[in-house]
Amino acid sequence: SLQTTTGLVGLAVAENPHERLRILYTKILGVLQNIPKDAAYRKYTEQIVNERFDLVKKETDVQKLQDKLNSGQIEEVIVQAENELSLARKMIQWKPWEPLVEEPPSDQWRWPI
Amino acid sequence: TVRPKNEVEQKQLCAFGEYVAEILPKYIQQVQVTCFNELELLIHPDGIIPVLTFLRDHTNAQFKSLADLTAVDVPSRQYRFEIVYNLLSLRFNSRIRVKTYTDELTPVDSAVPVHQAANWYEREVWDMYGVFFANHPDLRRILTDYGFEGHPFRKDFPLSGYVEV
Repeated sequence: SLQTTTGLVGLAVAENPHERLRILYTKILGVLQNIPKDAAYRKYTEQIVNERFDLVKKETDVQKLQDKLNSGQIEEVIVQAENELSLARKMIQWKPWEPLVEEPPSDQWRWPI
Repeated sequence: TVRPKNEVEQKQLCAFGEYVAEILPKYIQQVQVTCFNELELLIHPDGIIPVLTFLRDHTNAQFKSLADLTAVDVPSRQYRFEIVYNLLSLRFNSRIRVKTYTDELTPVDSAVPVHQAANWYEREVWDMYGVFFANHPDLRRILTDYGFEGHPFRKDFPLSGYVEV
């Protein structure tokens, strides 16, 4: 972008954001391949990432891309993609798509007591 | 006068609650939306770090801010303490509550690796209720006096304490 600053503390202006987003989204999709195909997390995250990836591929102007993504500045979108990547890696360890670990005692969530 | 019911927000919160429950069935025991449009996720204690990390990092959630971390003492239950996390999403202007349970002796995973803000809140819960947080960087008393014995916010702790001042 042609800005000198993002306006946010600690976030530098990204030069070549399209490239960075392309790399991140490809990495996320690669990590998601290691999750069982029927897991809801994989389904929804693939949907989100593919949507954003298509927008990034089609739109070359940074300002218009920011408006279309409607998710704050492009640098924030990059940070969010990095977070999603780290989350996907941790999800492989935790496997949250398995059935419930343990049922609570029957009076645990009753309110009023 | 009665607060007007916001049906749209209620529906959105219900939908989001079902979305999260579908993604994390291993840890989420129950999801409820109060009549004041507050979404609550009721969690198994093993799932604190996975659920909080998911809510912080996922694109559709982005609950980056830990607003509050407290505990509730209900002595009649088997797991008497209920740990409550209140999260705020700045991107989507939305709040969510995550609740877990534990008893006096079972440690609970600390939320500090996920949210730095949890540091002093967990020290307060330890001091006032006696809930031990595993992997906390610095778990010590924060509000009670230096040699104080007991956990004041428990329901079986008398109002004016055991020691005369």
